[in-house]
Amino acid sequence: MAAPMELRCWGGGWGLPSLHPQSLTVMAYAKFSGAPLTVNTLSSSWKAPKEDLPFLISEDNVISQPAKILNFLRKQKYNADYELSAKQGADTLAYIALLEEKLLPALLHTFWIEAENYFSVTKPWFASRIAFPLSLYLPGKMSREALNRILLTKGGPPLYSVTEVEAQIYRDAKECLNLLSKRLGTSQFFFGDTPTTLDAFVFGFLAPVYKVCFPRVQLQEHLKQLPNLCRFCDDILSCYFRLSVSGHSPAGQDTADANLQKLTQLVNKESNLIEKMDDNLRKSPQHPPRKLTTLKLAAGGEESGPFNRLSP
Amino acid sequence: AAEPWPENAALYQQLKDEQILLSDNASSLAVQAFLQMCNLPIQVVCRANAEYMSPSGKVPFIHVGNQVVSELGPIVQFVKAKGHCLSDGLDEVQKAEMKAYMELVNNMLLTAELYLQWCDDVTVEEITHPRYGSPYPWPLNHILSYQKQWEVRRKMKAIGWAGKTLEQVLEDVDQCCQALSQRLGTQPYFFNKQPTELDALVFGHLFTILTTQLITDELSEKVKNYSNLTAFCRRIEQQYFEGHDKDSSTIAARSAKRSLLR
Repeated sequence: MAAPMELRCWGGGWGLPSLHPQSLTVMAYAKFSGAPLTVNTLSSSWKAPKEDLPFLISEDNVISQPAKILNFLRKQKYNADYELSAKQGADTLAYIALLEEKLLPALLHTFWIEAENYFSVTKPWFASRIAFPLSLYLPGKMSREALNRILLTKGGPPLYSVTEVEAQIYRDAKECLNLLSKRLGTSQFFFGDTPTTLDAFVFGFLAPVYKVCFPRVQLQEHLKQLPNLCRFCDDILSCYFRLSVSGHSPAGQDTADANLQKLTQLVNKESNLIEKMDDNLRKSPQHPPRKLTTLKLAAGGEESGPFNRLSP
Repeated sequence: AAEPWPENAALYQQLKDEQILLSDNASSLAVQAFLQMCNLPIQVVCRANAEYMSPSGKVPFIHVGNQVVSELGPIVQFVKAKGHCLSDGLDEVQKAEMKAYMELVNNMLLTAELYLQWCDDVTVEEITHPRYGSPYPWPLNHILSYQKQWEVRRKMKAIGWAGKTLEQVLEDVDQCCQALSQRLGTQPYFFNKQPTELDALVFGHLFTILTTQLITDELSEKVKNYSNLTAFCRRIEQQYFEGHDKDSSTIAARSAKRSLLR
């Protein structure tokens, strides 16, 4: 239990700790349950990882895939679902299945298959994080895998062309977002006041859609019309990930930190509302310059991201 | 859509005794249960080439008037357009839950059934291959079986299930059944008093798993562990399938025949 755990995953940008949905899910869960993880993001000086990212290393065990990593953390007594009833645990499983079936195809499409997005944002970003010559091969491979997955699971007859499949998966994704929004309603997290596994998964899938600036953004526009989901992402980012800029909280100070987090949550909520009103006024002139500088500031972008929102 | 439901509506599936497989049987039974719950008469017609007749390549499909609709999702929409809806009484949050649970069943139970049928070598050799191509002469029966197997294995690889072992798949089934059991609790149906399409879907899969004999009983044992799920299946069978003589005889006969032949 006191063994140090290391998580290797894709790095972040645009104010997010990671761009990869699965990596983000694991990081969010670790923050919610107070697990002391050292997060090592992939940079171009690393050797090629043999397993799929993200993976957790703890005392010679290497565990990949978010579901298995979360199970492992729960066995180490870092359980964010402690207060859930049996029925809520069942609901968690059902909503995660909904996310994977309905939202994930559209997410993959936006990142990896939509030509404009892929060539102008995704490919350069991922290629810059891997060592040459793997950077020439790996983004292409990930794109082909994404296309394969979408076509095999969603692309049977009567949908014969890729455009018809695209229309269907975006329709499904928008319906899924609407369902999530209805389920969340006005509460802070999906099951009351403390975040759980479901919140980690929803955050992992929604935050990249919400934050990353793509040229083709129909999913992001739809998400922005659901203010409670946007507020949900912003809350988690500001409460759980802004604190991590300086370092992660050790396991012993769990309860004190949780109380402190709750207090900061309330304070941040108020300041967020005020900031949002300010942001809305400023959004239009700010967008074009952000696009140009995004690629250059990629390394320092993560640090300056959260701080930008604090200073009016 | 404005026409009333005709008397001669038909549901097409593969041959019941020799050809149909676990996953297709489950889907077909789910649609039959749903239509019974809506009180819409339907005749079950068995054809060897049902898969090829279907507009989406999947069974079952229904032929109503001059329209052909396949798979439970589109069939529910179609029936709703005709004015029969089981989930009207649910509020928005409950509808979201219902959709989520239906995805859970499709994601875990159906995929596990497909895995067991097509990726577990023993089952493939002894049950699936002989059954799938049985209406066709040699060598067509082998070719069709291998083609379908290759297709299903490709799909499994794309969604990441190819690397799973049988134990892991059975564990996933157990997790899914546990979730369903906890959600059902002591209620008669998933959304208390009225059955919905979720009840039909869960019934279709669980009943088929319980009454189909495979190489081992591990799959049905996982479901039998949860007594409220077996009671749920029995309740729906009694209420919706034993009222019609021909249907009850086919269900009882089917389970009897299943235990004799593989």
